[in-house]
Amino acid sequence: MIVTLTHHQLRSIRRQRTFVMFLGSFVLITTMAALLGYSSSRTIVRVYDEATKLLAETGQPAPPNPFDVTPSLALLSNMTIYVPFIGAILAVVLGHSTVIDDKASGIGRLIFSRPLSRRTYLASKVLAVALALAVVMVVSWAISTVAVLLINGGISPGDVGRLVTYFALSWAYLFVFVLLGIVTVLVTRQRATALLTALGVWVAITFVLPQVTSGIRPVASLNPLTAPAPAVQSFFQMTSHLRPLSLSEEYKSASATILRTGAAESLGQTLTHTAPVLVAAVALGALCLGLIHRHDYSRSGSDE
Amino acid sequence: MSEASGKIFALARHEYRSAVRSRTMAAFAVILVSATLVSVYVSSVEYAAQLADYQTYRAAALANGLPRIAPSPLAPLSLLRGALEYLEIIGAVIAITLGYLSVARERSNRTLALIRSRPVSINEQTAGRLIGAVGVLSTLVLATVVVAVAGVGVIGHDWLSIGQVFRVVLVGLAAVVYLGIFYCLGVIATTRASLATNGLIVALGVWLVVVLVLPQIGDTLDADNQVPGGLFAALGLGHDGEVTILQHFVGYERTRTWIEDASLTKHFERFAFALTDVKERYRVHGLGWLINETKADLAWLLAYALALVAGLRHTLRRQSRTASSTTT
Repeated sequence: MIVTLTHHQLRSIRRQRTFVMFLGSFVLITTMAALLGYSSSRTIVRVYDEATKLLAETGQPAPPNPFDVTPSLALLSNMTIYVPFIGAILAVVLGHSTVIDDKASGIGRLIFSRPLSRRTYLASKVLAVALALAVVMVVSWAISTVAVLLINGGISPGDVGRLVTYFALSWAYLFVFVLLGIVTVLVTRQRATALLTALGVWVAITFVLPQVTSGIRPVASLNPLTAPAPAVQSFFQMTSHLRPLSLSEEYKSASATILRTGAAESLGQTLTHTAPVLVAAVALGALCLGLIHRHDYSRSGSDE
Repeated sequence: MSEASGKIFALARHEYRSAVRSRTMAAFAVILVSATLVSVYVSSVEYAAQLADYQTYRAAALANGLPRIAPSPLAPLSLLRGALEYLEIIGAVIAITLGYLSVARERSNRTLALIRSRPVSINEQTAGRLIGAVGVLSTLVLATVVVAVAGVGVIGHDWLSIGQVFRVVLVGLAAVVYLGIFYCLGVIATTRASLATNGLIVALGVWLVVVLVLPQIGDTLDADNQVPGGLFAALGLGHDGEVTILQHFVGYERTRTWIEDASLTKHFERFAFALTDVKERYRVHGLGWLINETKADLAWLLAYALALVAGLRHTLRRQSRTASSTTT
């Protein structure tokens, strides 16, 4: 039964414009991240050349080339911004559209008139959307790998592995927001309230919590190179305990370590940053399960 | 009060009341004000310590009879930076939501047909909606600004002068225009969509590009932002060296500026940051000079506002015609 339902759900997702929009947006942002990375690396080299000439004219020694210490995967560092900003919103919309139609159109009532458990129904929905998300991540990974290959003139097996790990982490992060989109549909009565509630949670996670826990201003969080607030402030010493709730920060920290674009960290520290994302996914999954059991499908939701 | 202004006022009051009663709007407003409070608190705590240091120095200098006392390098207005950034980002989402709810509410309550059964022209409808929305957005901006200014006074121990408050009022007015543009976007996208939620998604897509993506691209392409701590600093170059080198990147810089200019958010930000001393190079200048310096950004803001208001009017007119032809 679960295979049939998952198959059906995958076909629905494929027919929906939401998935096409999701896939298209990821192709676009991955390409854009690579082009921006290429442009940045070219600029660094050209600025360095000009700086060397300028300093030579004034009799000063040439400084070390900053590009020498730039990691090979740094050209994709913008992806660590686009995933929590653009990808997470798209993931919310994907999760929302996966369950809203059954609820709003009354199909849910029809489905549950058949001998079908709610657990199986939810599992098929979640499995289908997880597979769709995986397809998007694989496409994004392939584009990234080709971009690194072309721009850097080669890619090491280690970098291929790092890219696989990074996109696996991104899949988990986006999956959290897919589940958030599902949860808000199950706890609210109206289509728009569900979407706006999820958007409110996204705003809090992406902009407000990083400010509270690390003093990162909203616009500063758009830059892959953000300097955290001074740790001496007693306020941040207190709020740093909330850091596991700041999922976007944890995702960025783990991504920077995986792609080697940030400060080097031990495997244990990287896992500490990854754990909140995984815990959030499990917790929201459990919440979905609890909510779907209690959800009253006999009452059709408003179409708006 | 003339008959037309009476109708406009009634429509505006209806728009304002409906928005104020909405729980969704209230929840977003709470998020915005709370975020503002946190950002002002964070920056003001550090500021209060710096201010205390300066006052200690000043008292010691006066006691020793020093002829020249260095002026304070502190800029209390710059503490509003976080609040302005939240208005830029979360405020815009709230404005889109306001526009969306305005249309969705009329659709679900079927009040649009009722309004059209009354002798209300498109211009009156447009004006009524806009005035109501501006009222809601002004309330929101006022709440944010009052919380921010009070936060600077109470936590930073530095109350703004009348002149500084006047600057904040000008920035607040620009913020209302900025948010009004996103309100129009929300109404236009929702009205044009057959399913209101799809209109909301389209408007949020535009928000994503205008508020986050375009400024982010412009920021990322900035040569100095390529290396932690700044590329030019890493190369041991000062401001003069940076200017000399950037002369070789005229085309590159022009493209970067063009991308930033395409974002409405950047224009609001430049005006707001100039008036609130966020950029150090502007701190020495008076209000007249600053307004002259940012007049292009103000012009862009007004041009966007006029275009979106015209779009709103056109959309409402089209909606009215479609409804009439469906009825007949």
